Amino acid sequence: MRRAALALVAVLAACGPKNVFRLSQDENNAYALKEVLARRKLPAAPAPINGWAKPRVFALAAGAPRSIVAYDLEASAVLWQVEADVQSRIWVGGDFIVDIEGGRLVARDQARGTLRWKVPLAGELVGVAADRERAYVVTQRGMTWQLSAHEGASGKQVWTADANGQLGAPVAQGGIVYVPYLRQWMSLVDARTGDMLTRIRGIDEQISALRATSQVVYYGSRQGVFRLDERSARGARADATYGHVPIPPQLDRTSYARDAYDPVQLGYSASDRARVLFSSEPTTTGPMKLTGNGYAIHYFRYVFGFDTAGAMQWAYSNPRADFVASEHTGSVLVGLSTSGEIVAIDPVTGAVRGKQSLGLTVPVLGGTFDADGWAPSATAGEQPPVATIPALVHIARDRDARFGGVKELAVATLAKMQGATVTGELLAVLADERAPQKLKDTVVALLVARKDPASLGVLAKELEVKPDYLARTEPEHLGAIAKAIAGLEGARLPPADVAPVVAALAFHLEAPSTQNPDVIRVIAALAAIGGPTERAALASHFLLYRVDDDRGDDPAWQQAIVTALATKGGAQERAMLRYAAADPRTRPGIVQLVRETLGD
Amino acid sequence: MSKVSWYGALVITLGLALPTGALAQRRGSRKPPPPPPVAEVSPIDVQALSGPDLELAAKAAETLGQIASEPAHEALLDALALGLPPAVAVPTIEALAMQPAPGDVAMLRRYARHRTPSVRSAALGALASYPSPEAQQAISDGLRDLVGSVRTAAASAAARGRVRTAVDELMILLARGEDSSARALGAMADHELAKQLTEQLGKAPDAQLARALGTLLLRDDFGPDTAKVEIVRTLAKIQDPVAVTELTDYINATPKRPVRASRQEAAGVVEARTGGAR
Repeated sequence: MRRAALALVAVLAACGPKNVFRLSQDENNAYALKEVLARRKLPAAPAPINGWAKPRVFALAAGAPRSIVAYDLEASAVLWQVEADVQSRIWVGGDFIVDIEGGRLVARDQARGTLRWKVPLAGELVGVAADRERAYVVTQRGMTWQLSAHEGASGKQVWTADANGQLGAPVAQGGIVYVPYLRQWMSLVDARTGDMLTRIRGIDEQISALRATSQVVYYGSRQGVFRLDERSARGARADATYGHVPIPPQLDRTSYARDAYDPVQLGYSASDRARVLFSSEPTTTGPMKLTGNGYAIHYFRYVFGFDTAGAMQWAYSNPRADFVASEHTGSVLVGLSTSGEIVAIDPVTGAVRGKQSLGLTVPVLGGTFDADGWAPSATAGEQPPVATIPALVHIARDRDARFGGVKELAVATLAKMQGATVTGELLAVLADERAPQKLKDTVVALLVARKDPASLGVLAKELEVKPDYLARTEPEHLGAIAKAIAGLEGARLPPADVAPVVAALAFHLEAPSTQNPDVIRVIAALAAIGGPTERAALASHFLLYRVDDDRGDDPAWQQAIVTALATKGGAQERAMLRYAAADPRTRPGIVQLVRETLGD
Repeated sequence: MSKVSWYGALVITLGLALPTGALAQRRGSRKPPPPPPVAEVSPIDVQALSGPDLELAAKAAETLGQIASEPAHEALLDALALGLPPAVAVPTIEALAMQPAPGDVAMLRRYARHRTPSVRSAALGALASYPSPEAQQAISDGLRDLVGSVRTAAASAAARGRVRTAVDELMILLARGEDSSARALGAMADHELAKQLTEQLGKAPDAQLARALGTLLLRDDFGPDTAKVEIVRTLAKIQDPVAVTELTDYINATPKRPVRASRQEAAGVVEARTGGAR
């Protein structure tokens, strides 16, 4: 009896859930990892997953109901469009696609869009992946997570693998399913059997983000990504093929890949609109080697190209519509916009390599590319390298109020470029009534910091605008322009260029409508670039207002004018200051300041 | 270094003129001023002008302005060059212009851009006494001032100085409905300008155009009467009640004898417009 009971327990145990993911398991095993990597079935060259090896994009279009649009990038043609109440992303397999509709996993024939099968979910959906043969689903029920595999042809469940800890959304590639576990591990599971093959533990980096191309798997977090290779067994950033790129703080929503633990990212979301686009080369030493020594960031409507040091190399601004999906195919950056336009961009130059359209009249909500290795043909209308300055100007002056940070990045990048044209464009931002004040403040700071002598002419032109009731003109941003001119102190400026600027500054110094804060900046600008020529104007100004109980009592004005005359003036100006200090009508603050400054 | 040393350099650099012999260079186009009262410049007044007591300083400025002597004029210019509080600057400017000398213009132009509107207005008013192109340009510039009271002062100065170069500016201000420009245009209009004004009917605001034409009608130096008849006829076409007021003023200011066609027409228009209720 007792023996029978034991036998029953043994049988029940064998039939119960297969607990594949456990806390205590072999990990970072270099030998095992090498074996697993070697058994992967990868294409010799980057290629789409689908069985036809055709570059495709599957777009989800808005509407009631929504619809899926399958599009062939090579043929520039819509394959099919079917109505479907899709509530998730679309995952691409060999001859099928899968998504979530009505709470079930639904597969459609990839060639025609027809419904192939539907299966219920075993719990709350965590993530889905697909390869040529199967779809893989991670679900959660209570404190149990389950990875299951379904035949792409029939939907039949072929295996399950359970976990008592949190699993993330998987990716699949070459006969392996890669599953993040408790944010610390990435398990490599046999796609055919569901057996654990090996796993990698992130020693100094979370594993919460995964991306698979046809040949490479990347894993990591928002901090950076590893390229999966034999060195991954070491687990630590320093010993593995690890990379992280400078992401400008203005683009701080950007990520390297989808977050495997974020349920929102089961669907197409804003996170798909802020992505680092990169590809890498195999390497056996050192950090990850980025293809072309650069990377790009897709940020809503914009795509920026950077070198590995983080210096912006080019900028592309997509007219009107955000990109809702983007991918680095290894050859081009490809984006799908809300208006259904597909734009291919050269990752090195930013040149548009081709544009296609889904031809939709409804917005596109999101899309999945299956286009690894794809590039438009040479006849697809390649355009010259993107004109970065106009693109940055366009971004800086974009009416879309969402992108304050991006605009600041654009003006900051512009400010690093030399030339009067750039200064003119920055000033145009200042003149733009609808530009946010924070952006204008940034522009002012950048104008001051850029110290570009070639800008003097443009700045002088701005000074030509005078307060005039009849002409209905008033100088705009006089203080900012004066501040920028003051920033040129010490720069080599042609005297012939300086003279009219000094004259214009002197005009504004004495213009009755110039308010004290601007007057102070004008004084600083005159003192900075004027040489001896500005002294007469400053002296006259000082004498006129030293006895004025309004301007004359402004400590900032006092400081500015006394300092300018004492430090930039000669013996005559200092004698004048002493005379003023001895005159009982001179405002007391000035008297004190003169004495302190001249050491009397 | 003495005050004289740096002050002289400043004056030269600023293009200001020290008043040496300046009084001898008074404008020749006007009738000679009455013989100046004989008075000595009191050192007390000179000191008070640049002293801390604003009331005494203002009083000193007025006193010095009455004295037609070079030292008095120099004292005023000196004080303005070294800077004066607005409360003293205004009477000093007015005092300076009582004995105008060409060398004053640069100083007055400096004050015509002072940040205090009353100082600017005083300087513009003073500049009307100087027929130089620089002074007239400053008055024209004053018509562009962002402050209405200063534009008004500039318009009055333009009228008083007959600043023809300011006509374009005044016409724009007329179109924008500024009364002061209307009065100024009326005060300085010749036949050509009068024609220009009548052509503004329907373009410029009725009330201001009526004021310009009414001011013109009242001028003894504008004629012949046929020209005034044209003005009356233009006023008759203006529906704004100001036109009737201006015509009435003209009728009241003009004697019945000798009979003038312009007055008769004006009376007819007023009669018709008021139904005899005037």
